[in-house]
Amino acid sequence: MTDTAIEAAALGRSFGRRRRQALEGCSFRLPAGRVCALTGPNGAGKSTLLALAAGLLRPTEGSIAVLGRTPAAARERLAYVAQNKPLHPQLTIAGTLRLGRDLNPRRWDARVPERIIAEGDLDPGARIRSLSGGQRTRVALALALGKRPELLLLDEPMADLDPLARHQLMATLMADAADHGTTVVMSSHVVAELEGSCDHLLLLGGGRVRLAGPLDDLLAAHTLVTGRSGDTLEPHTVVESRTTGRQLTALVRPAGPLGEGRRTDRPSLEELVLAHLRSPEAPPLVLDTEQEAAA
Amino acid sequence: MSAVTAGASAAVKESRAPHGLVPALLRVHRSAFLFWLMLTAVCLGALLWAAGPGADAALAEYRALGCDRPGPGPDCHFSGSAVGRHQLAVAIASGLVTLLPVLTAAWAGGALTGREMENGTAELAWTQSVSPARWLAAKLAVPAVLLVAGTFAVTLLHRMLWSSPKNSLDRLMGWYEWHDDRVFEINGPVATAHTLAALALGVLAGLLLRRALPALGVAVLAVVSLVWVLDELRPRLWPTTATVTSAGSTPNPPGLVVEEGALTATGARVPVPECWGELDCPAESGITGYYAVYHPSSHFWPLQLMESGIALAVAALAVVAAFRLLRRRTGAAV
Amino acid sequence: MVEYRIDRRSGVATYVQIVQQTKQALRLGLLEEGDKLPTAREVVEATAINPNTVLKAYRELEREGLVEARRGLGTFVRRSLGTAPADSPLRAELEAWAARARAAGLERDDVDALFTSVLDAHFAQSKGDA
Repeated sequence: MTDTAIEAAALGRSFGRRRRQALEGCSFRLPAGRVCALTGPNGAGKSTLLALAAGLLRPTEGSIAVLGRTPAAARERLAYVAQNKPLHPQLTIAGTLRLGRDLNPRRWDARVPERIIAEGDLDPGARIRSLSGGQRTRVALALALGKRPELLLLDEPMADLDPLARHQLMATLMADAADHGTTVVMSSHVVAELEGSCDHLLLLGGGRVRLAGPLDDLLAAHTLVTGRSGDTLEPHTVVESRTTGRQLTALVRPAGPLGEGRRTDRPSLEELVLAHLRSPEAPPLVLDTEQEAAA
Repeated sequence: MSAVTAGASAAVKESRAPHGLVPALLRVHRSAFLFWLMLTAVCLGALLWAAGPGADAALAEYRALGCDRPGPGPDCHFSGSAVGRHQLAVAIASGLVTLLPVLTAAWAGGALTGREMENGTAELAWTQSVSPARWLAAKLAVPAVLLVAGTFAVTLLHRMLWSSPKNSLDRLMGWYEWHDDRVFEINGPVATAHTLAALALGVLAGLLLRRALPALGVAVLAVVSLVWVLDELRPRLWPTTATVTSAGSTPNPPGLVVEEGALTATGARVPVPECWGELDCPAESGITGYYAVYHPSSHFWPLQLMESGIALAVAALAVVAAFRLLRRRTGAAV
Repeated sequence: MVEYRIDRRSGVATYVQIVQQTKQALRLGLLEEGDKLPTAREVVEATAINPNTVLKAYRELEREGLVEARRGLGTFVRRSLGTAPADSPLRAELEAWAARARAAGLERDDVDALFTSVLDAHFAQSKGDA
């Protein structure tokens, strides 16, 4: 067991003849056992990054290692659920799970998917084509977890689920992570969807890494400052600042004490992410657990 | 005994261990495989019927009309209903086999690969414990085995029918020549080779276009073109034989005629002059004889093997291209 | 056993909510010495929060000497915060006082403000958020 789930070095991927850059110069490390939120606006490269990690795409620049190996070599130990939850419409749920058993003979654990199917009150004899979007998601997740993956890559997993199913499936995922130390990477452009469940953040914007690191450390590295307009924020790194009348509101990365006469607050995940998305020119921040330990 | 059994079951387990890819594939494409089974059964059934009761009935009708006697009446130029049924049965089998490459290409480009690329189920397979290359290998191998087995059985049965005792069915089958496209293809490995090329081209189209319908269309187009080109090319695939006759009679060589014409005194080959029943017209035109360039029936096997070889080479190229394409896109090692 | 209620919109870090709710359960006597806390799996199955968050909260409680992790068995309460169990005389006095305040016509907010100012006067400011 390696202690790194994903390690990317100057990772890039371009598409088509015009070399449209979907991902560019991405370097980060995701330690094993984390539940990582992968977020960013539409078109930020979330799906491309997940497909690269799943070994479905070849990087055009740089490299990506998964569980200490190439994604292709780690294929047995990772699971991936694509955004559109592809399944064979002509198969039944039971047939779909048998497919999982056939294709993962060394790892398949039938109890896990069966429990997930039963929790959703689904009939194993039902055909996939007769299922609703949320039910398909449940089957796709059951198939992914039946493989007992060490790394679970989920592209917009909760998008078409109702709140109850969302809570149930998130709880199932978290319980699996608690039982087996599964590393989970979940993409979503709805930040609120991920709050509470994730302890690691990877924020992409324009194909580049904007923020990466343990969620608590990233939040701790930022402060919301409310002061008077005209105040200087030197020498702190300013992510975003806005002036409303006499009031200055800013999200900064403090380089030292922030001084008197200002209100300082800890930002929420949503505030942190939104501030970075509104200010594309703000410098990226990549925190590694190693660096944290060294500091 | 028990040790042997244990060993065998261990071997079964071992072979199952890396991949249950074959059962998975059979499950996903079950309806297509069942359809193929049905198609083969129809072909074999039609041929078996034609060889047995169909032939007996046709022969009885034939004899009843007195066609087996010397100097048969004009009725013998038209087939009776029993002969017609016999011919229909054979035509169904050979027609389906002729159609098979097109059906195969459409399915391989559409359902087998194109649709899986389009809706993402291919990626679903690749993120199980199955590499894209193994997936592709299974997608080619399993249908190939089934197609070869079925086509081979149909070919064997048709050959049996074709070369059955001279005295009984020769006249019945004599409506066709060995080199007629349908007869030629179904009587040898060419039918199988065409079908394998269709499978490979379909798979390549599916991987290339990643959409079911366009891949289906392109694959069908490619296979129709391939079969057409091969049909056109067929006479040139083996050195021909020439036959020459004197001015009195035109040659009527038994086989696939490639070229025929008239000969002059200098031995030059010229087109047959247009003489409308004028007896001395050929001589006036300086014609000393006639020639024909053709393939005798002994060229059947060389022609079969050459054409099969070309079709299989096309299939091999398409397979190599498909693997390369897949590797370039996913960058996955084996 | 306690059941945690996680409020994702409260702005209080999730693990702090678990720490606070555990302490409250200890104070109210809902948890006593030797009681077992729910496992991380049980908590996340009920709340869909991250298991590492639960473990972080339990580590925090352990650091404060309130609970101890026994290998392979679970996390157990080491000492109670039972200074004011639900049926203590102090509570009874407070109940009586609250009843008098209400009889005197005080609103809930008035009582709250009064109570907080007295608390501030007698106890050092404690940081609610870590």
